[in-house]
Formats: sequence, structure tokens, C-alpha cells
Amino acid sequence: MTTVEARDIVKTFTVHRNGRHTVTAVKGVTLHVAPGETVGLVGESGSGKTTLARILIGIESATSGEVLYDGRPITSARDWRELRRHVQYVFQDPFTALCPTMRIGDALAEPLAIHRICPPSERRQRVTRMLDLVGLHPDVARRLPNQLSGGQRQRVNLARALMLEPRTLICDEIVSGLDVSIQAQVLQLLLDLQQRLALSLIFISHDLRVVRYLCDRVLVMYLGEVVEEGPTATVFDAPRHSYTRSLLSAIPDHSRPQSALQPDQA
Amino acid sequence: MTTETADIALDAAQPTIRRRLPLNAPLVAGVVLLALVILAAICAPLLQPRGPTAIDLRAVRLPPSLAHPFGTDAIGRDLVARVLFGGRISLLVAGAGMIGSLLAGTIMGMLGAFGPRWLRVVVDRIIDIQLAFPYVLLAIAITSAVRPSIPVLILLMVLAAWAGAARVVRSIALQERGKDYVKAAAVIGASPLRIAMFHVFPSVLPSLLVLAAMQMAAMIVFEATLSFLGMGVQPPTPSWGGIMLDGKNYMTSSWWLTVFPGLAIVLTSLSLVLIGDGLQGRRDAMREREGDA
Amino acid sequence: MAPVLSVENLTVSFPGRIGPMPVVEGVSLSLEAGSSLVIAGESGSGKSMICQALLGIVPKAATVTGNHILWNGRDLLEADERQWRAIRGAEIAMIFQDPTAALNPLFTVEHQISDVIRAHRRCTRSEARARTIEVLGMAGFPDAESRMKAYPSELSGGLRQRVAIALALACAPSLIIADEATTNLDVSIQAQIVRLLRRLKDELGLALIFVTHDLGLAAEIGGDLLVMYAGHAVERGPVQAVLDDPCHPYTRGLLRSAPTLSSSRANPLRPIPGQAPRPGTIGTAAPFNSRCPVAISGLCERVYPSWTEAGLGHQVACHRFAQDGRGGLP
Repeated sequence: MTTVEARDIVKTFTVHRNGRHTVTAVKGVTLHVAPGETVGLVGESGSGKTTLARILIGIESATSGEVLYDGRPITSARDWRELRRHVQYVFQDPFTALCPTMRIGDALAEPLAIHRICPPSERRQRVTRMLDLVGLHPDVARRLPNQLSGGQRQRVNLARALMLEPRTLICDEIVSGLDVSIQAQVLQLLLDLQQRLALSLIFISHDLRVVRYLCDRVLVMYLGEVVEEGPTATVFDAPRHSYTRSLLSAIPDHSRPQSALQPDQA
Repeated sequence: MTTETADIALDAAQPTIRRRLPLNAPLVAGVVLLALVILAAICAPLLQPRGPTAIDLRAVRLPPSLAHPFGTDAIGRDLVARVLFGGRISLLVAGAGMIGSLLAGTIMGMLGAFGPRWLRVVVDRIIDIQLAFPYVLLAIAITSAVRPSIPVLILLMVLAAWAGAARVVRSIALQERGKDYVKAAAVIGASPLRIAMFHVFPSVLPSLLVLAAMQMAAMIVFEATLSFLGMGVQPPTPSWGGIMLDGKNYMTSSWWLTVFPGLAIVLTSLSLVLIGDGLQGRRDAMREREGDA
Repeated sequence: MAPVLSVENLTVSFPGRIGPMPVVEGVSLSLEAGSSLVIAGESGSGKSMICQALLGIVPKAATVTGNHILWNGRDLLEADERQWRAIRGAEIAMIFQDPTAALNPLFTVEHQISDVIRAHRRCTRSEARARTIEVLGMAGFPDAESRMKAYPSELSGGLRQRVAIALALACAPSLIIADEATTNLDVSIQAQIVRLLRRLKDELGLALIFVTHDLGLAAEIGGDLLVMYAGHAVERGPVQAVLDDPCHPYTRGLLRSAPTLSSSRANPLRPIPGQAPRPGTIGTAAPFNSRCPVAISGLCERVYPSWTEAGLGHQVACHRFAQDGRGGLP
């Protein structure tokens, strides 16, 4: 049984630069996530991975193809609302993903209020519990986003996505802008939460090292297509597609000596 | 996971680098000045118990003196009384007009940013049409159809100014709408109404306040202009523009009849512009600060 | 070989409410022609501020002090704006993180590079043009002659960065500073740019300072490594030596928290708990003290550590290491 599934998703845009032409951001991608699984979606800029992720949560619409949840296709606005009770999305830039004028506590209580999950009296308690779960002090609830550090904001982002207790989390480059030590804290938190809450994760990143660390399965995207797919260890240790190979060889690794970068026309 | 707890404690113990925005000079000056004007207007009956319409034909067009600090007008009415009571009317009309136009402008502006596609296009066009229409023409059109009274005047103000407010609101709302937090709110299930009211409107508010001050300043002048042209507040109700209209023919002989109401208009307008300026400074400082975060 | 750049005891501080806030404190480094120095650290470590001090472009509110910044025999700490203008671009050049911000969107690539050339040298239009084509070629910009009429907005991120590199090379500087120059680029482009910089360093005998937060990249650049934490230098030495045998608890913590291609959930990452201290709050303590797993109580919070030898050219500023020669490792 799968939780979220995308079948043959195609997304085209019309670009108005030097005349009109269509750009196909996603060219027929199929992906699924099983319960408890962590799937990595890797690619560079222009690979279509973020567009695909946004289609999965409905903030972008697919030109063709369908998104399914628990086997049922999602078609109407009502379906999307239903899906979003169980699938949540964490945005990349933690600063722009939080309303600058809303206090953290209010922002976290909002999903509870919208979906009437619990009586108002209980909301504060749940917010405090969630802050604790993501490793933040309850005092953070009184602050505004611009009073928090990048790492703290990203934790708040995660917390907000988790308020509705989703079964699947889509994380879009959530550690990309963070310092190494903060990144490690957030990754550790993610693993911890996944275990505790039995989450499935779709993890989008351009950093293969992070994906290697976190994911069970990985899909490599290039110019809108999935060029390679499989268990992480297999894809990383024995890549079959040339793009995957070139991507892996381009990664700076301090455990490899200097000359490991492939000769190439610089 | 107590590491962040330790951070917060550390954070709290350290003196914050961020300070509260200091009050700036224009804002303070403007507020003080406006407060004086409003106070004077409110206290009009106390200061001038005889009222603005007490005619005294023995005291026609007297220059300023101790008994009549602003002088008297063509039918012997005390000018201080007229200016003070006129202030009540002018402030009322301008204030109500400002609030009305901002309310209408905010609603239209938000609809123009968050409504369904067709509505947004319609609102766009309406705003454009309204902005293209010169207000004097509008005033003439309306006052020729309906007898000018205070409610009509206020309506005129609202009609003349709502589009400017709508444009500001819409532009900021559209800008915010493209940001991730609005999408994030949609993902957790917030309706467009909720997003508009609780997420985006607070970002619109600072600019709206600046606009409020500037609009009201413009409306003080607008009302005075209309009254001066005879299309505004009708006699014997005093209003600053009306007083100037009365004194128009005696500008060189009895200068006080036009100078004092004119001064009132200028001072009130000035105070509002200063407030607007000060608020704008605060808003820009706030934005800059957020930019460094 | 004599160092071409020698910095001693550099401090950059900003005025604060209760006292000066140093964002760089007491940093010394030296660099020879044809060699590279990687300055590694996280945000707030002061690494970018060092670069700015070396170009005289620190914010106006900041004060730069130190024993000296010796560049080709001159002390840059004494330089005035006129002298800086002669040095910037011509002797010391910088490549920034965001190529979009570094290039003027209103002028063509050719115009911008020729402009810089003619600002520093007296030459004719065609000479400047020839040099422009030359440096664009050196930077790996394809079809330079025909494509240099393009505007920055028409180019991809990688190409824009190559233009930025060409701009930096235009007046044949002796030192190039790359401040997170590859951070915004795709991995494959990043690899190309890194290789390019290394090649230019070797072929032109340039000195290269490469600032990054990615220790893996440090390994690719090579040369010497300077690890920065909260404005202080905590470890330095040949890159591979430091990465193979990190002696400072921060360096170790950083390496342990960075995922590599050989990481997996079987070897969990071990994040460094807490956050870096804000400038001006360290006082005379060891900078890493508040988060250090091997801090010596009574010493590390009171005394600033001095440099200890840890190998050939490898030094570490750590009390624990000075004490046991192992930095607290079993």
C-alpha cells in the first residue's frame, strides 16, 4: 500500500522571453512513497524536483497525470483539502515560509483552529508540546519569526507541518541554507521525528551527501525526467546512468584526496 | 532536546541588539499639533459659548482685538468661534471621509488581490476608472444632482479617495501573495479569507496608516476647496472653506477673514503630513531591520 | 618563498551598546604566490569579514585594527581610499557568492570587463577588447568573442560566475579571494569552477584565498586550511593534514556533523549542540568553550588558548590539546 503517489506527471510552462515558447519542467514522472519510507528526490536546478513536489501537495497543478492518495486520485479542491490533512509540506526558506507578522504560537495554533482539531483551551498545550518535540523552548511561542535564527525557524516550520499529525511529510530543500552544524541538528531531529511518529518522508535536495544519509530510496532527476531510481546504497555505490555518475563524481568529499575530481574541460 | 532551551536562556540573558524604534521628530510634532487642533475643536462650546452663528451687526468686520482675537466677519460673527466650530465640521468630514475611503479601499484592494480571477479583473478596471476620474468633476456632478449636505460630502470624499487606497492595498497584498508563507498557509488549510485577514493584512497595515494620515490631510484641503467653491458645507454651518468663501471679497481690506481659516487649514494639514511622514519613516526603518534578519 | 600576503593579529569590530563587538579577533595568516588558503567556518565565524578587510571594503561602522596587513611590502592597514582603489581589482580581486549581484544587469559582459581594464590601465579600446576575450577564455567562457555581447540576465548561474572570474582576472591580480564563490551553483558547475580556480592558481602563479563552509570543498581546493569559529582562528595547517587529523574540538565536531558520501544512518551524524556565541560575548574565554565536549573547567572559560604545534605546519588553539596532545580523544 502506498500513501502518496504521482503517476505520469507532466508540467509545462509558457515562458515569454524572446518570444513565447513552452518549457516542460516535468516530463512524465511517476513516484510513490510507502508508509515509513524516506524517498529522496535529487537533482540540480532545472531538474523539476521542486515543481514535482509542489504538484504533489497541490500548490502547482499538473498539466497532465494524476496524484493519488491511498490509491484514490485527487481531483477536486475537497480532495486536496483531505490530502493535506495527511500530507504536509515544509518549505525551503524558513524565513519567507513564516508569516512575518504572526507570533510563532499563533502560527502553530492556526492549523488546529482551521481544522477544529481540539477545543481552544487545549491549543496552547498542544503548541507547547510540539515546540518541545522539535527541541524549542516554550518561550519561542511569543516571538516573531525575525527574532529567531535560521535553525530555529526551520524547526518552527517543521513543527507547523506536524501540528496536523500528517503521515507523510514533503521536505523541500529544508536544510539547504543552513550551517553545517545546524543542518546536522535538523537532520537528526527529522530522523528522530520519523521514528517517533512513523512518518513517511519525501526529501528533496540537491545535496547528495544529505540524501545518502537520510533516504532509503532515491530518484535522480535531470531536466524533468527521472534518470535513475533505486535503493540509496545501490544508486550511490553502483550508479547506472551517466548523469548520476557525473553528479556523484562532482561532489566534494573530504574523505577523498584532491585528485579525485574527474578530469574534464574546466 | 534541551540544547535549544539553553540557547533561549542564553539569548534572554544577553542584551538584545535590537532596540525599539525611537519616536521620530515629525511624528511627535505632528501628533502634538493635531492633538491641539482636535482639542480646540472639541472644546469649542466651552471656549466660545456664544456659538458661531451669533450675529452682532454693531461689530461688523472688526480687526483682531482682545475681545475678538480673530476679528469679526461681515455680519459681526466672532471669527474664533467660527473657526473653532468650523474645525469640528471640517475635521468630522475629513475624518469620516478618510475612514470610509480606507475601509472601502481595503476591501476592494484585498478583493483585487485574493478574489477569484474574474473578480480581480473587474476590481482592477473599476479602480482604474475611478482613478482616472478627476474629483472636481465628480464633485460637480454629484452636487448638481443632490443637495450638498454633510453626509453627501462625506460620500464624495470616500468616492474620490477609495481608489488610491485600494491601489496601495492591492499592490502590497499582491506582493505578499507571491511569498511562500501564503502558500504555506494554504497548505495547512487556510481559506483565502483567513489568509487575507490574518496573514497579509498586518503587512498592509503600516502603509495603510501612512496613507490614512496623508489622505486626511488631502481631505481637509479637499473639503475646504469644495466649500470654497460653494459645493461643500452649506451656510450657516461654518467650515473653514466656507469661512474663506465669505471673506473672499474682503481679502485686502479685512485680511483676517481669510488668513485665520487658511492658517487653520494649513496647520491641520501640516500636522497630518508630519504624522504621515513620521509613520513612513518608522515603516521604512522596520522594513530595513527585517531585511537584515 | 617569501609570503606575498602576511596578516598579523587582524581584528574587525563593530560598535555595540555595551562595548565593541569583534566579528574577527586576532587572526593571523600568510600566503605565498601560487598557493591557496581555505578559510572555513560557518556563518558568523568572521570569514567573510576577513575578505572584506583584505579589500578595504568593510562597512563604514567597522574598525579594522591589527599589527599589519603586509601586501607586497606595503601595510594595508595604513592605506587610504585612493591607495585601496589602485589595489582593488588590479592587485587583489574578489569573486563573490552571488554572481547576479556582482554584475551590473544594465551592461554587457564585454562592457563591464573592458571598463575595469581601462580603469586600471591606459590602453586603447581594442587592447581592452583583446584582453577581455583573453580573460573570458581563461575563465572557460565559451565563444567569448561572440557571446560577450550578452547581458548577465541572459546567462546561467555558472556562466555568470565565470564572467565574475574573468572580471577578477582582468588586470592580472596577484591575489584572488573567492568568498563562497560556488555556494549558489549546481554541484557539477561547482566542481568545474573549483578546478578552474586551481588551474589558474597553478598556471598564473596566483595566490588564492577560498572561503567556504564546506569542508569537502576545502579538500578539493587544497593548500592550507584556516578554521574559524566565532571570529577566532582555532586550527590551521595543510588541508589534508587538518582534515585527516583534526585536533580542535570544533573542527572535529564540524567533521562529525557533516554528511559525506560514506555517511549512512548506521553512522549517525553527531551535531554540535547549541549555537555559536554572539560577537562581544566571549570575553577572554576560549571561544568554543560553551559548546565544547572536552572543555577544561576553570581554564577554558577564563583563559584564551595560545597556539600549540600539532604536526608539520599544523597548529591548534586549544587548552585540552596543549595539555594532553590528543585533544581529549581516548
